[in-house]
Amino acid sequence: MIQVKNISKTYITNKNYTTTALDDVILQIFEGELVVLRGSSGSGKSTILSLIAALLKPTSGDIIVDNKHISKLSDHFASEFRREHIGFVFQKYNLITDLSVKENILLPLIPLNLPEEEMQSKLNSVSTKFHIEHKLEELVKNLSGGEQQRVAIARANINNPKIILADEPTANLDEELSLHFIKILQELKADGKTIVIATHDPLFFDLDIVDKEIRIHKGKIL
Amino acid sequence: MLFIPEVLTILVLDILFIFFATLAFFQSYKIFKNWDIKATTQAQYNLEKTSYLSATIIKFIFIVKVPLFLFFIFTLDKISNILSGAMCGAGVVDATEYGNYLFVIKIINLYIFAYWLALNNEDLKHEEQPFTKFKFGFFLIIFFALIAEIILEFSMFNAIDLDEIVNCCGTIYSSTSNSYFAYILSLKPIYLLSVFYINFLAMIIFYHFKKKSLFALANIFFIITSILTLITFYGTYIYELPSHHCPFCLLQAEYYYVGYLLYTLLFLGTFYAICVGFIPTEDKTLQSNYKKSLLFNTLYLLLVSAYPVIYYLKNGVLL
Repeated sequence: MIQVKNISKTYITNKNYTTTALDDVILQIFEGELVVLRGSSGSGKSTILSLIAALLKPTSGDIIVDNKHISKLSDHFASEFRREHIGFVFQKYNLITDLSVKENILLPLIPLNLPEEEMQSKLNSVSTKFHIEHKLEELVKNLSGGEQQRVAIARANINNPKIILADEPTANLDEELSLHFIKILQELKADGKTIVIATHDPLFFDLDIVDKEIRIHKGKIL
Repeated sequence: MLFIPEVLTILVLDILFIFFATLAFFQSYKIFKNWDIKATTQAQYNLEKTSYLSATIIKFIFIVKVPLFLFFIFTLDKISNILSGAMCGAGVVDATEYGNYLFVIKIINLYIFAYWLALNNEDLKHEEQPFTKFKFGFFLIIFFALIAEIILEFSMFNAIDLDEIVNCCGTIYSSTSNSYFAYILSLKPIYLLSVFYINFLAMIIFYHFKKKSLFALANIFFIITSILTLITFYGTYIYELPSHHCPFCLLQAEYYYVGYLLYTLLFLGTFYAICVGFIPTEDKTLQSNYKKSLLFNTLYLLLVSAYPVIYYLKNGVLL
């Protein structure tokens, strides 16, 4: 389902200095798998997620998702691809704190111009599933870290994407909330979602639900 | 050099166009030479980034250039107020040796630039960007048309001498003048009108049978027949003067600026037909372009035809 073929990514910080985040990375992730990308900070985990989400373009190489060469997509088609296929949970959640929970969750639906009833039905479904239905009218800035994460997960799932990408999802959570997040992952996996998590949290290592653990060090797969 | 605010505006924009178009020209050359949409090399990814930037630069040049044509016409009209002898833009165009060439190249460029914009729009609608190589290759050619237009524009404004008395449109568009207009005006209007209406009928037939190329060609011919019939016949009914044939005076306030409407309708109608004939599109866009073309051309035809009809109804005779 997801094929990463000989991907390299170099960031140019200024004319004389470049950073190679990924160097000739090859990996394959099958439909319904839960994959953990494991590595220290700066190893290139987040770059792989951003490339799979078509948020970044590689310096060279190809990324194929569902037979679509997403690394070749223009910004317009990359946005369309993300909207239809990807749910992304960011490390710092990237929520709009001055909007309500409901407004944040509904954001990905705005470009689709769906009827009000359909939007409401999708909102009810994800907010119940991720246990945030009682906070829909609250401003995000008034929520706890765990609640904010559930909002981020609900937003990532509102379009019912096939692929969920999570970048250091437990970095800002205590152990209890992290375990709760793992429970949510179990549910998503049971729904048939393909899940890729970039983390260096030991909680994820050797978990039963993890199908594949990929170690990354200095931009290379070990 | 003639320095009035309108001319200065055009010249400043021209300098900006030259600067940005030259940048885009060199990038377009690189893209045209090395583009390979299937490649996943660093060079191709860099070209893809460059292509978005270059296409945006060219797009904005042309997006400004197309409506700027109307501003150019308006400027000619403005200059005619300070140029001895000139009654409208026609006198200004005729005042220098560059005017007529500039005007012809401007009309051709108008269609070419609009065509490039439509092509770019169609290219960006597809994930595989099927027209990228062609649109940048095409820009390598039309860059010179843009530069030629700008050089002629500078030359014309530079050559205008306010102390010299120029011909008015009555002299230029007269059957006794020494220009080729005298020959056009000597043609019997009935023949030109027959060709004009048969041309329109042919467009409808080609639309009905979905003959794209013939539809586009008939429309290109329609530009010529429309302008000829406007000068020889319809214009006289707009002015209500049998001897006045100027295609510029229509743009003045005393004729309610009807020229802007007529020329815009004619441009839109024929431009969409060129898109039908020369840009491969999906069926929905094709049908939409067909309909827009026919709509604008029909409005043009109805509007010009209304003038002699109304004149006849009011006066009981034709001019």
